[in-house]
Amino acid sequence: MRRIGIALLQVLGVTVAVFALSALLPGDTAVVILGRHGTSEQIAALRERLGLDEPLPSRLLEWFGGLAHGDLGTSLLTGKPVAEEIADGLATTVVLTSCALGVILPLALAIGVLTGLRRGSPLDRAVNSVVVLLDSVPEFALGLLLVGLFSLRLGWLPATAAGISGTSLLAYPAVLVLPVVVLVCKQLCALTRQIRIGVAEAHTAEYASHARMHGLPERVVLFRHVLPNAAGAAVQQLARTVDGLLGGVVVVEALFALPGLGSGFVDAVRTRDLPTVQGYALMFAATTVTVNLLADIAARRLVPRREVAP
Amino acid sequence: MKRSATGGPIAAAGWVLLGVPLLTALIGPLLAGPASSDAGALHSPGADHPLGTDELGRDVLTLALGGGTSIVTMTGAALLLSYLIGVPLALLTVGGRQWASRLLLRLLDSLLALPGLLVLLVLAATGRRGTGTLVIAIAVLQLPAVVRIAQGAALAPGCGTALEAMTMQGESRPRARFIYIGRSILGPVAVDAGTRLNLVLYLMASANFLGLGLSSTATDWAVLVELNRDALFVQPWAVLAPAMLLVSLCAGVNLVVDGALSRRRTVRT
Repeated sequence: MRRIGIALLQVLGVTVAVFALSALLPGDTAVVILGRHGTSEQIAALRERLGLDEPLPSRLLEWFGGLAHGDLGTSLLTGKPVAEEIADGLATTVVLTSCALGVILPLALAIGVLTGLRRGSPLDRAVNSVVVLLDSVPEFALGLLLVGLFSLRLGWLPATAAGISGTSLLAYPAVLVLPVVVLVCKQLCALTRQIRIGVAEAHTAEYASHARMHGLPERVVLFRHVLPNAAGAAVQQLARTVDGLLGGVVVVEALFALPGLGSGFVDAVRTRDLPTVQGYALMFAATTVTVNLLADIAARRLVPRREVAP
Repeated sequence: MKRSATGGPIAAAGWVLLGVPLLTALIGPLLAGPASSDAGALHSPGADHPLGTDELGRDVLTLALGGGTSIVTMTGAALLLSYLIGVPLALLTVGGRQWASRLLLRLLDSLLALPGLLVLLVLAATGRRGTGTLVIAIAVLQLPAVVRIAQGAALAPGCGTALEAMTMQGESRPRARFIYIGRSILGPVAVDAGTRLNLVLYLMASANFLGLGLSSTATDWAVLVELNRDALFVQPWAVLAPAMLLVSLCAGVNLVVDGALSRRRTVRT
């Protein structure tokens, strides 16, 4: 219960911070829209139309009031409601991240358990080095090298996803391969290592050898005792993986011209479309905080004896 | 012993991967000289330009040689800054009042509510971009973890007793705290700096790629990748040369740090 309260406060804090940052912008939004050539009358008129002449607290309250009705304001650039702009990109990003998660989860579990049970073996060290190597490379550089190899050299896969968006992406799996591979490579490492260490520790723990002495087959020991104990920390790492995916998706969407939340965010930043930026920031903050909250709750359920710090 | 025998080739590969881009970053600018845009845009590799020219007609080899300095110095500066702020902050919380240190930690934790790249995007959207801002913002983003690690090390068992002994020997209290605790947290902080180096490098390169830091015509590997990526099919070297150097730098740093950490672990146990 207390954890949920803290999560709500966190989202609130991020929202106010984003609002304050944009409100304290030197030369406010009206100046940004009109550019350097706007006359002072024009700026004053636009300020009044945008409601920028009201004092800061009342603007903040008004924005929160709109938020309560699901109204995130209007995009300064397109004049469309911000909520609509975000909804446009949502499907693409959800498809992309869920595909990546769908690959990461079984892969991390398989590699983590396999290497965790044989910790220190040549296989463990080789796999570990590869995973660490992949972890270090920024998505955009890796993505371009892959495009250079698979699109330019071999001509196997398309270089961009221009023109395709939302759930229709699923109809063109070839377009999805490179973006998903790039996301997976970057996020695989942390989760795999967490599972590996968890499994290795639980595998050599006293309760595991105790269970073995009672004649339980290795399979039962693994699934009933080792895995559940390794799961607690892994679930929390999974939340960090989702955070990482949200950051990675920004770069990957920009790189492959996918019209999702990430590229929408980057475009809004480029055009300084502040209401839209606020909407995206709120959306991303709410997602991260929710995911971390769920992970904390799940970790507590999985390993009841351990108190998870709020 | 067994580990070092088989860890050899991986560590060696790490040093090679790290060494090439690092040397390029350090002495490349001296070899290359300033980049000028007198040739035509997007020439293929030829006699005048061994790697061709880029979107702005600059020699790709010159750019590749000169483009590493910015990322290396900016990463170093951000990392250094985060410890220069984080470690004293952690020492203050150890000696200070309970509620104050808890408040500080809560405040820092709320910084973690957003992925780093998104925070940088919001900052850029509100007009706060540029190299200085980027370095400071990335340093601040590291603070929660840095403070926690330094604090954890300073609170380690043994610190209390040793500190008491030093005060009884007549050392002044603040002096004893900063010297003794400072020394005892050096190890954990050094280990953390190794792993954090990669994170900072990643954030810095990605932010420059998204245009949040350096200007779009700067000579920097990440900026060059972004500038020339539309020309990938016309003049691939303009993109692939800086991208490869950047990947090599990141991978090398990670392999070397990982190797050093696992050796450290074997020595201890």
